[in-house]
Amino acid sequence: MTSEIWTERYRPQIYDDLAGQEEILKRIKGLTNSMNIPHLLFAGPAGTGKSTLALIVVKELFGKTWKDNYLELNASDERGINIVREKVKNFARTKSLGNAPFKVIFLDEADALTPEAQQALRRTMENYAATCRFILSCNYSSKIIDPIQSRCAAFRFKLLEKKDVEKVMKKIAESEKLEIEDEAITAIYEGSEGDCRRCVNLMQSTAAVSPKITKELVSTIISEAKPKDIKIVLEYALAGDFEGAREKLLNVMLKDAVSGQDVIKTIQKEIWNLTIEPEIKVKLTEKTGETEFRIVEGSDPFIQLQALIASFVLAGLGK
Amino acid sequence: MKNWVEKYRPKKFEEILGQDKVIERVKEFSINFPEKKKAILLNGKPGIGKTTIVQVLANESNSEIFELNASDLRNKSSLNEKLKPVLQQKSLFEKNKLILVDEVDGLSGMQDRGGVSELIALIEKTPYPIICTANNAWLKKLSPLRKKVELVELEEISPSIIKTLLKKILEKEEKEVTPNVLNNITIKAKGDLRSAINDLEAASALEKPEEIEISERGAKINIFEGLRHIFQDKVNKEMLSTFDKVDLPIDEIILWMEENIPKVYNGQELVKAYERLAKVDLFKGRIYKQQYWRFLVYENAFLSYGISEAKGDTEKKGFYKYQRPGRILKIWLNNIKHAKRKTIAIKYAAKTHVGQKRILAEWKTISPILKNPKLQQELKLDEDEINYIMKYP
Repeated sequence: MTSEIWTERYRPQIYDDLAGQEEILKRIKGLTNSMNIPHLLFAGPAGTGKSTLALIVVKELFGKTWKDNYLELNASDERGINIVREKVKNFARTKSLGNAPFKVIFLDEADALTPEAQQALRRTMENYAATCRFILSCNYSSKIIDPIQSRCAAFRFKLLEKKDVEKVMKKIAESEKLEIEDEAITAIYEGSEGDCRRCVNLMQSTAAVSPKITKELVSTIISEAKPKDIKIVLEYALAGDFEGAREKLLNVMLKDAVSGQDVIKTIQKEIWNLTIEPEIKVKLTEKTGETEFRIVEGSDPFIQLQALIASFVLAGLGK
Repeated sequence: MKNWVEKYRPKKFEEILGQDKVIERVKEFSINFPEKKKAILLNGKPGIGKTTIVQVLANESNSEIFELNASDLRNKSSLNEKLKPVLQQKSLFEKNKLILVDEVDGLSGMQDRGGVSELIALIEKTPYPIICTANNAWLKKLSPLRKKVELVELEEISPSIIKTLLKKILEKEEKEVTPNVLNNITIKAKGDLRSAINDLEAASALEKPEEIEISERGAKINIFEGLRHIFQDKVNKEMLSTFDKVDLPIDEIILWMEENIPKVYNGQELVKAYERLAKVDLFKGRIYKQQYWRFLVYENAFLSYGISEAKGDTEKKGFYKYQRPGRILKIWLNNIKHAKRKTIAIKYAAKTHVGQKRILAEWKTISPILKNPKLQQELKLDEDEINYIMKYP
């Protein structure tokens, strides 16, 4: 049965179907041909093929028995490193099936682990080195501690180029019998910032409305998915109503489950549309950039956003 | 493992030492209920057994404790909602109930929808005994409450009783400390048994317990006093220890500060204060990510001195109405409203090799796809989940 979820229905099953990442493919093919892989570290932005490649690797290695020899975990969903270790232990305890010499554990979003948890992970990797290979995936390899990096063969995934994603979209359009304008492809690609999963999701959302995918339809769907009312938040702030702005912001974030990072992206774009002096636009943009940096570094995005909103209040006074 | 305070918390009245009169009175009150006054207020310093007495009373009279806190009492509708199950079903076979309102000095006063007036309204109609506790029942805002309750004062626990209890604990734990350390702990506790037991536990864990420095527990202040001090008084070095004296975890104090900055500060001050609060959060993030605890020093410095200095070298006279942080409650309510999002994300994650958190973060792009009935079938969404998807775009 094929899935109703297009990201699954059209997930590449063999190396040659994977979009982009030619360099990585060359190297990884060599590894799987020899039937022995080291631990692997896949680093790169979301939606560039990390999980897909891990799946292809195990299918190449284990053929039909891949499901029995493969464990997928997500570090940001598991409650703590001990749960991860427990699951690894249970999985690694039994012998691999078929003629596979080892099992594979895929740990997605490994950079969600604290450095201490990563130390514990390192020990686990060593304990089961005889029977298991780990594939770790992360957005930033700099967030992975050195001892783990040095035990893994690292692969850096690049953002997909437009031509790669275009190929994927055209293929889907053909088998789903959709009509898609070239401009719509461009709009989807730009709206998803090189993230192929987002592209496919956007395409499916759009196709749910009409089998004829136009640029206009795509922009409507994209703006639908963006946090709304951020402009109103900024207007409250510029008018000097800090508490009103803050309340509105919290409501927006809660109602649509918008992350701090999504809010900051929208604010950054919205600044240019405000009726304030050009010099203040520049100042606020600088402040916004600083806030984005701090959201990554800090612990509570809403506090960082409040500090930013406070600067907008001041900007409203022309300072 | 339980800490000693929990482990040795009395289960029976006979195990509570030094509070005999209070216990007698509380027993009578629960047996004779309803008396003229339907609530009792236990007043006394922290760590002398107020809450324990209520727990033991429930235990010995085979009643169930129904606990209300300040946020329950903040508005009528949420209070009524919470009390519905208690007030409705009273049957012969049901367990008795005791309503406990801990730390009423944290309630807001009479203005608008104050917690104190809600509590008084509740006392008038309650079918069950109400027991309140307070560290300072003589606050002005509690004066209307004092008329409705029977006030029972609890004494500090005498040093000799504290010392006896500490010795008993050491015996049971098979641990030793020198007499000198034991005396020090007893004296510095100043009648606060809980802090004495905590200090003892810490001291006995050391290799050389005689070297322990028992930090003197200064007079505790409540959060409102702390806020007033930081926001309104002229900035000074002592402020660095203000929040040590407040009996709340620092993460919670951060939320109090966040809520109240705009209640006092404006314009340039507001920006400065939030800038410093943002620094607090930054150091908090670094502590978490790098497990480098020394950053706590900076976290505290910005939170206290830093935010105080946002107003410059001045003081702010007058009365400001400080409020409890509302954000957590709001997030909690929102989570309940959108609880289905999470359960759907779990099902979707299982099919797609994507983490649940990421699905929630990309919810807006994924939710339109979920309206497809075939997909709903594939994910085995239940009726509630499908209704949720159809209702919230």
